Amino acid sequence: MAAAAAAGSGTPREEEGPAGEAAAPQPQAPTSAPGARLSRLPLARVKALVKADPDVTLAGQEAIFILARAAELFVETIAKDAYCCAQQGKRKTLQRRDLDNAIEAVDEFAFLEGTLD
Amino acid sequence: MASSSGNDDDLTIPRAAINKMIKETLPNVRVANDARELVVNCCTEFIHLISSEANEICNKSEKKTISPEHVIQALESLGFGSYISEVKEVLQECKTVALKRRKASSRLENLGIPEEELLRQQQELFAKVNSNKQNWPNRNGFKCSKLPNKPNLLLPQPVHLIRQDLLRMKKMMMISEIHQLSFFFLYKCFSCTTKQ
Repeated sequence: MAAAAAAGSGTPREEEGPAGEAAAPQPQAPTSAPGARLSRLPLARVKALVKADPDVTLAGQEAIFILARAAELFVETIAKDAYCCAQQGKRKTLQRRDLDNAIEAVDEFAFLEGTLD
Repeated sequence: MASSSGNDDDLTIPRAAINKMIKETLPNVRVANDARELVVNCCTEFIHLISSEANEICNKSEKKTISPEHVIQALESLGFGSYISEVKEVLQECKTVALKRRKASSRLENLGIPEEELLRQQQELFAKVNSNKQNWPNRNGFKCSKLPNKPNLLLPQPVHLIRQDLLRMKKMMMISEIHQLSFFFLYKCFSCTTKQ
């Protein structure tokens, strides 16, 4: 059941237990729109992440939706930046140190320094 | 699958979703596993960051619900202003789809059964409700409190409201039948035990 539900958001094989449960509710994205802009990220999971903050009381559905889109853009940006670092090192494989460099190079990514450990 | 979920802080975006995004951004590029792991964590951190900033903005504006506008302001203040134009496009699409959905559902409600037929169905349901009430095994004061004592005959209403009423009544009928059955069952149980 979780496998079938998570198929909408990607295969479950690499998920941890609690993450698997959270993926079970279907994303609320307008899936039936023609030329469907399906958010790449499961909205239910994004919502769960937002609510994990104890200060947050309520978040509207549209807000979750655009937050998911912003996160997508973020991943794209950081991947491209890291790829530039890899190319400078004349490597074809993106390594973790490329990401580290990309994070340190950009001021806005300073909040990520906690995740580098 | 219902099972006790772990710590909320173990939540991350599913790895496969991130992999897909990386693949679309950098096709034909190999990415190390630990790099992917880092991206997953960064994405999670990003969501926490934006949502916490948006929450502060929301509190300042004395609203209770985080709105898209708050998120946009948060992006701006945290230096992600370049994302705003694309994010606004997505917001527009979201609103358009929501509008279409609302129009579609109201159109569906107005099609179909004509008003006289709906009224007739309504009368039938009322009659059924009345007759059901009389079949109560009214022992020991068992009464279904959910059913009203006297159904109020509804005046002719616009079609979509009648349809909603019908659905509501059908739902209540189901609930009352379930109540009936459960009380009856309990009654049977008690009478069996007392007989022994």
